[in-house]
Amino acid sequence: MFLNAVVLVLQEILEAALLLSVMLVFTRLFHLVWQQNFLLRDSWVYYGIVLGGLGAGIYAQLTPQISSWFDYVGQEVVNAGIHVVTLSLLTVLTFVAPLSHLDAKPYARSRLVSLCMIGIVLLSIVREGSEIMQYMGGIASQPDNFTPVLFGGIIGAGIGVSTGILLFYGIVNLQTRVAFRSALILLCLIAGNMAAQVAMLLNQADWLPYTPVVWNSSNLIPETSVFGHLLYALIGYEATPSLLQVCFYAAGIVLVGVSPLFRRIWSDKPKPMVQYAS
Amino acid sequence: MSISRSRFSGLLARVCLPLSLLGGVSQASGAVPEIELIIKDHLFFPATIEIPARQKVRVRIINQDPSPEEFESFELNREKLVVGYGEVVIFIGPLEPGEYPFFGEFYPKTAQGVVIAK
Repeated sequence: MFLNAVVLVLQEILEAALLLSVMLVFTRLFHLVWQQNFLLRDSWVYYGIVLGGLGAGIYAQLTPQISSWFDYVGQEVVNAGIHVVTLSLLTVLTFVAPLSHLDAKPYARSRLVSLCMIGIVLLSIVREGSEIMQYMGGIASQPDNFTPVLFGGIIGAGIGVSTGILLFYGIVNLQTRVAFRSALILLCLIAGNMAAQVAMLLNQADWLPYTPVVWNSSNLIPETSVFGHLLYALIGYEATPSLLQVCFYAAGIVLVGVSPLFRRIWSDKPKPMVQYAS
Repeated sequence: MSISRSRFSGLLARVCLPLSLLGGVSQASGAVPEIELIIKDHLFFPATIEIPARQKVRVRIINQDPSPEEFESFELNREKLVVGYGEVVIFIGPLEPGEYPFFGEFYPKTAQGVVIAK
């Protein structure tokens, strides 16, 4: 029970922690680039976490009702909806984020970026948090399991949060442009992962058609292995992805990849940014 | 603003158009065979499910325990929470002939099963 609780909670926390870290990295980098002239404050993160926690509690309470929606596939539809909204917020963020105060309306843009970040973190905590609450709540009804599961959960959460913190400091201590690029690559993978999950969920609900399995790497990296688990949590690794999942994953990457933020940071001459950052 | 409105609306269309198409697909499930899977005392009944190969199947999972369980299968690419005394539906397949293990993520030691596609 103990080990199971560690793995289960870690898996859920990792996804949210990764997203939160990447958002914090962007906040830090935007501060560097904008010379703290604009409105984006670190405090957005508290709103995201607190509101996310509240939302997770509400979602966990409503899960029995949501489960019966749409002929018992309500969970898939709602979770896919949450992913789609998160992806939309990610897209808005990467399309409006100003890279220097030469951009028009920097204040309005940075306020919008903060709101997007709150929404993104909030929604990921709602989804992952509600599952942890379901698990913990269910186990707590059995006194024998309570202590091992509680401590397992705390350790799992600890490892997850530490990973997020390590990632944050690992990236922000890089040279600004390298840091920006690393964070953007992670954002591409996060978007791809999220989009692929939409495909999986809606196929599971029979809202999207069956598509053949594209490859089978379960001998190479089994999903049951530690490395497989880690890859799953970080980049959404599947040993036997369907064609639809692969296409959605690619679409998620493209969504971030075509954004002005990505293109400006990736092009060789993002002049304003480099001047402000140095 | 250097980002034009048209670019936004184009993006919105890209996101919304596929979504609007989804509604139509959902009605397409006609006579899909249904299989019932019961969770009781953190065990699956039946623990072995035989289904026809290369055919889509609807699996109705009924949890008779007070505690929640999560149906999970790496081989089937499926994962779904079933609340205590709750009921959910998942669709699996069409599957190639073979064995596809599944388990309950909350009680993996006892809640084990396998789907056999023939």
